[in-house]
Amino acid sequence: MVTGSSAPDGFAEDVRRYVFATAAATGEVPQPPAIAQALARDVEEVRDALKRLAAGKVLILAPNDGNIWAANPFCAVPSGFRVTSEGKTYWGICIWDSLGISAALGSDAVIDAPCGDCGEPMRLEVRGSKLARGEGVVHFAVPAHRWWDNIGFT
Amino acid sequence: MLLFRDEEHVDRWRKARDLPRGGLMTPDQAERLARGWYGRKLAPDWRRHTLEETEALLAEVGLTGPFWNLRGT
Repeated sequence: MVTGSSAPDGFAEDVRRYVFATAAATGEVPQPPAIAQALARDVEEVRDALKRLAAGKVLILAPNDGNIWAANPFCAVPSGFRVTSEGKTYWGICIWDSLGISAALGSDAVIDAPCGDCGEPMRLEVRGSKLARGEGVVHFAVPAHRWWDNIGFT
Repeated sequence: MLLFRDEEHVDRWRKARDLPRGGLMTPDQAERLARGWYGRKLAPDWRRHTLEETEALLAEVGLTGPFWNLRGT
């Protein structure tokens, strides 16, 4: 069910704002050690705050090491979905998030992604907050009410 | 959510995985959905969308029907 407003505590809010501002400014999603250093807090405090943010569906943690996998729409690791905007490179975990990067940044973007079936390269372009070039079709595998059950597959 | 060259490629992909056809949309619809969903993600006072807001966004983009029903079980 996609519902409910998260209400993170004050420190988690600080972490959220730092993570998203850094991802937007640099294209790189900061991980706990860098966040702790920037906010002058212990790494464990940061990891706890990230767990609370993940529980509130604000971001997604990697399953094993507690690092950030995606501060949606920004993916922390290179993926097949490359977004180029204002000279910087970003990564999305899917085509929706890739388009969401342009929306979140409020800037034009070129999105390069493979066809999910044959892998042939495809390109979408956003200019002036609208799709300026598009091709193909977008497929959502998971019904809307289960988006959060299996976010990596959607 | 994946991008495909056309519906034939979607069907080939899903049949190879024994998956039912999911929801299809145009890249323009996907852009508008992404804009509505993520457009304020960097705002300091960002908050998650409510169920009602998300339903309104889906309807605005033209995504209606059982597949896009958020109140399913």
